[in-house]
Amino acid sequence: MSVLSWASDCTPGRKERQAVMDEAGRIVASGLTKRFGAVTAVDDLSFAAGPGMVTGFLGPNGAGKTTTLRMLLGLVAPDAGTATIHGRRYAALPEPSRVVGAVLEASGFHPARSGRDHLRVYCTACGYPLRRADQVLEIVGLAGAGHRKVRGYSLGMRQRLALATALLGDPPVLMLDEPANGLDPEGIAWLRDLLRGHAVSGHTVLFSSHALPEVEQLADQVVIIYRGRLAGQGTLAELAGDSAAVSVRTPHTDQLIIALAAAGACSERTGPESVRVTGMPAAEISRIARLQNIDLHELGTDRSRLEQIFLRLTSRPAGQEPAAERTRSDQA
Amino acid sequence: MMPLVGAEFRKLFTTRLWLWMLLVSAAWAAGYCALAIAFDTGKSGLMPPLSGAAGQHALFAIGPGGAGPLAAVLAAIGVTGELRHRTAAMTFLATPRRGRVFGAKLVTYLLAGGGLALASILVSLMVVLPGLTAKGIPISLAENGNLTVLAAVIASAGIFGIAGAGLGALAGGQLATVAGMLMYLYVAEPLISHITGLHEWTAYLPGVAADGLTQATQPGVPLLTPWLAGVVFACWAAAFAAAGTLRTVRRDITL
Repeated sequence: MSVLSWASDCTPGRKERQAVMDEAGRIVASGLTKRFGAVTAVDDLSFAAGPGMVTGFLGPNGAGKTTTLRMLLGLVAPDAGTATIHGRRYAALPEPSRVVGAVLEASGFHPARSGRDHLRVYCTACGYPLRRADQVLEIVGLAGAGHRKVRGYSLGMRQRLALATALLGDPPVLMLDEPANGLDPEGIAWLRDLLRGHAVSGHTVLFSSHALPEVEQLADQVVIIYRGRLAGQGTLAELAGDSAAVSVRTPHTDQLIIALAAAGACSERTGPESVRVTGMPAAEISRIARLQNIDLHELGTDRSRLEQIFLRLTSRPAGQEPAAERTRSDQA
Repeated sequence: MMPLVGAEFRKLFTTRLWLWMLLVSAAWAAGYCALAIAFDTGKSGLMPPLSGAAGQHALFAIGPGGAGPLAAVLAAIGVTGELRHRTAAMTFLATPRRGRVFGAKLVTYLLAGGGLALASILVSLMVVLPGLTAKGIPISLAENGNLTVLAAVIASAGIFGIAGAGLGALAGGQLATVAGMLMYLYVAEPLISHITGLHEWTAYLPGVAADGLTQATQPGVPLLTPWLAGVVFACWAAAFAAAGTLRTVRRDITL
């Protein structure tokens, strides 16, 4: 315990954390720590998610994502640190359901209650008109199933019902724990449009996932957590740093390779019209191509590299594990 | 607070549990009263004769009085159901002030318990009034203090509702709470309260105090006066409710 608190005192970034000023639509975790018995689930975690973008909260299973989200939502009391939304603790928000909509993994429903009745319970608790229940059922595509008991819902339908509950107050901030679980590809596409639309209209979206492709598809920026600690934060391209590869599609592959080589980048042809570039950010590639009058048809982060970024950020050389985890594995 | 109580009543009435409890309570009330009237010999036996005030009190206290423990079960299942079905997180997201949520549950199950008792009383009256009249025993609600007993039955069931909600929040587990309450009320407490050497304080036990409130006399078990018993039983319920509130406010909702 003492080793841990010493370690967290020495963690850099405390001043940065202080500098992160809370403002509308911002979700801010600052030094969050939660222990369950001898296990430290979340360890001095600080990050922020802002409005206008979708933030993915990425980490392997058991990394502490759910505990973190529950601390942000006031369901789990942190042992140290603060969690604020809109500059306030969740419990201190005057009308929290009008500010934050949350979908929690494994959140449940009474099996014998209909989806519509479930929503009406929360309409009553939050002071919304009962017709709002039918509106959100419509939004999530459950209008036809609202009268059925939740017992008969599929996993995907339950996810939609949980999302409907989150949308009751039409909140600017959405927090979702593994929202794509149980959704079929059509459902995931629908979810993507919904979250994207929410962010584009200037709202905040934070969602957790253990699946990298999901985060790639949905997120503008990523917070990566590993064993309860922050492993990285930024856009995927930022996190990739210099090692990132950029894939370019152009009819003039030879010209581009020569031009980029002159600027110091390393390029290789990966297809008749595609080139993979390393050592140069996409913006610079675009600038050089424009100067050389080279048409670019596609410019994007090389997807195959993202897996490596994730693995690099979440792997830790042996012997550098925190004391608590060594104890845990010793006991195991 | 009113919207929260409304939400709790909506939870209660959107599943069928309340209906089952009502049916069981009504069936017990009607069945007990019918049997008591059928086997009434007019003499003092196991139960006092129904022609007297004591007999009529016992009839109402035990017949519709069965609503009390059922109100506690209803409340305990309702409160623990939020954890069992993992709806607690959504409830506390909608209303992060957990003390208020639990307060609304207490009000809800106080009223639900009273309602359950009232319904059972109406059912029992449908048996008792024609049954006793047929046997030539005059009965009036306004006489013999019968109305007071019926009011005590309603109050007792309301207090049982609060106690059940408090114990449910304290224990958390649905089966454990319900089984524990029933084991205590119908096995442990009757055993303890029949030990003569302990009679000085057995009247203060929660279930015996509830019997004291309604004067549901059992041979060989001393009871407090109705008013004192009511206060003692209410104090037990308040203690359970306070402990349940603390547990609710402090609990980490990890499911």
